[in-house]
Amino acid sequence: MKVDVQSLGTFNQLAHEGAQEATGSLAQMTGMDAEVDVTKISLVDRQDVGEELGSDAFVGVQFGFEGALAGETVLAFDEASRDTITEALVPGGAADEAMAQSSVEEIGNIMMSGFIDGWADYLGATIDHSPPQYIEREGADILPASVAGERDQIFVFRSQVEWVEETIRFYIYMLPEYDSLTGLLGEHADAESDAIPIEKLETFNRMTRSGTQKAADNLGMMAGLDVSAEVTQISFAPIEDVPKQIGNETYVGTVVEFTGLPSGYLLVLFDEQSAINVAEALMPVDPQEEGLTEQHEAAIEELGNIMTSGFVDGWANVLQQSVDHTPPKLVHDMGQAIIDPLAAQLGQHQRHAFIIDSKMQTDGLAFESEIHALPNEAELREALQELQVDRADQTEADVEQIF
Amino acid sequence: MKVYDGSQVEHAADPEPERRKVGIAEYEVATEGAVLTTSGLGSCIGVALHDPHSGVAGLVHVMMPSADEVDGGDPAKFADTGTELLVEEVTAAGADSDQLVAKIAGGSDMLDFSENGAGIGERNAEVVRATLATLDVPITAEDVGGDHGRSLRLESRTGDLVVKSAKQGIDRL
Repeated sequence: MKVDVQSLGTFNQLAHEGAQEATGSLAQMTGMDAEVDVTKISLVDRQDVGEELGSDAFVGVQFGFEGALAGETVLAFDEASRDTITEALVPGGAADEAMAQSSVEEIGNIMMSGFIDGWADYLGATIDHSPPQYIEREGADILPASVAGERDQIFVFRSQVEWVEETIRFYIYMLPEYDSLTGLLGEHADAESDAIPIEKLETFNRMTRSGTQKAADNLGMMAGLDVSAEVTQISFAPIEDVPKQIGNETYVGTVVEFTGLPSGYLLVLFDEQSAINVAEALMPVDPQEEGLTEQHEAAIEELGNIMTSGFVDGWANVLQQSVDHTPPKLVHDMGQAIIDPLAAQLGQHQRHAFIIDSKMQTDGLAFESEIHALPNEAELREALQELQVDRADQTEADVEQIF
Repeated sequence: MKVYDGSQVEHAADPEPERRKVGIAEYEVATEGAVLTTSGLGSCIGVALHDPHSGVAGLVHVMMPSADEVDGGDPAKFADTGTELLVEEVTAAGADSDQLVAKIAGGSDMLDFSENGAGIGERNAEVVRATLATLDVPITAEDVGGDHGRSLRLESRTGDLVVKSAKQGIDRL
C-alpha cells in the first residue's frame, strides 16, 4: 500500500474544510465567531493519541462511521467551552447540568454531521454514522479507546478550533480505521512517483522514536538523569501551518540545519523553566543570579548539540545515509518566531511539510524537551524509497542493534 | 480572511474594541475600530495599512517573498501578492487608496542558514517595500530585521501598530 504526498495534502485540506464547515455551524447557532486554527494528519503510536490533551476535563460527542471511510470521530470541548456554548444557546443554562449536556449534544450532532457529510461529498460515496453519544472524560480518555485494527500506529486527523474573542479551544478528532484510510489514500494516489510505501512511513516513525531515545540517553548521561522518550509522531500539514505546531510561549534551545538525504532542520527546545532546571542539573554550583543566565544558555547549547548528534546519528543509521549538521545556533524566543524562518526556507520548494515531533521527560526533575525535525519533503521521500524493505524488516526486528 | 464590518456583535455597552487574530498567511480588514493581532513573527512580516480618514485598516501576515518563486499557494502567504491583496481589500472596504499609509514589522534573520545571499526575512522586507512603492503606499514607520521575534497589535481606530518582543519590550509605531 502506498500513499502519495498529493493525496495526503488533499485529505488534509478535506479535514480542514470539514472542520471549517463544522465550526461554521457552531458560529451560526451561537453567534460566536470561531476559527479552525490548524489541521494536521499524524501517524502516531496508539498509546500516544491525544497526549496533547493533558489531564483536563472534556465533554463532547462521539460517533462511529462506516461506508467509504470507517472509523470514529470525536468533538471535544473543555469545560469552560461547554459553559460558553450553553450560555450562547440558552442564556443562564450553564448551571443546569442537563441543559449543558443537551446543548453539547445538539451542537455536536450538527457540527459533526457536517464534518462527515463533507467527506462523503468529496469521496462521492456514502458514509453512515451512528447516533452521537455524549461523553464526559479526562484528557486522552475523551478519545475512542480503540479503533479497529491490530496496528501499533494509527492515523489521526486533528483540528484545533479557537474562539476569536476568548481563549477557549475545542478539538475535532477523526480516527479512521487504518486499512480503510490507506485504501482510500491508495485509490486517490495519482502520481506513482510521489508515492511512499506506507510501511516505510511507519518504520521511519519507529526509527525516529529510537533516535529520540538516543538523544534522551545522551541528555540523561550528561545531566545524570533518567530521561525517557515520551511521544513520537510524524505529521503532515501545509507549510503555513508548520509554525502553529509550536506554541507561542518562550522557548530556549538550539537549531541546526542538517545536510544529506534528507536535508532539513532540527530543533531541540525547552520551555524556559525546563531550560533553567536542566541547565542547573549540569552546573557544578548554583548560579548567582535568578532566572536564565548566560551560564544556563551555554549549558543548553551544549545539551542541544549532544541531543542533536544523538538524534541525527540514529536517523542516519536507519536511512543508511550520511547526515551531517551545522553547529547548533542558540535560540531564545517565541516558539512560532523560531520556527517560521525554517518553514519559509522549506516553503520555497514544497507546499506541505512532514513534521517529526518528539517529547521527552523525566521523573526526577520538572522538565520537558521537544525535538522537531523538518526534513525536505522530496528528499525524505527519496530516502524512504531507497530504504530497502529487508532493511526495514531487519530494523523492525532489532531496533536496538541499529543504534 | 473575513471582512469585519462590526455588524455581528453589539458594542453598545462594551467599550473594548473587537479583537481579531490574524494567522500566518492570513489577513483581516477592520472598519469599526477593531484591534487586529498577529503573533510569533520571525522572518515573517506583518504589513499594516490604515486610512486615517475612513478609519479602515488591515493587517496581513506574510511568510515568503514572492509567489512567482513557488508553485501555488494562498496569495496572503507571499510578501508581493499578500501586500497587493491587502491594499485591494482595504480599498474595497472603503479606504481611499490615496490616503493609505503602511507600517511594517518583522523580517528578522535570527535563523538564517543561507550561505550566500540575503536571508528570508530580509528578502521579505525588500519585497514588501517594493510592492508598497509600486502601489504608491508610503511606509510611515517600520521595525524590521534584527534577530528576535515579534508580536503585533494594530489598533485600527488610530492606526497605531504596537510591536512586542521578548527582548526589546514594547514599541508603538
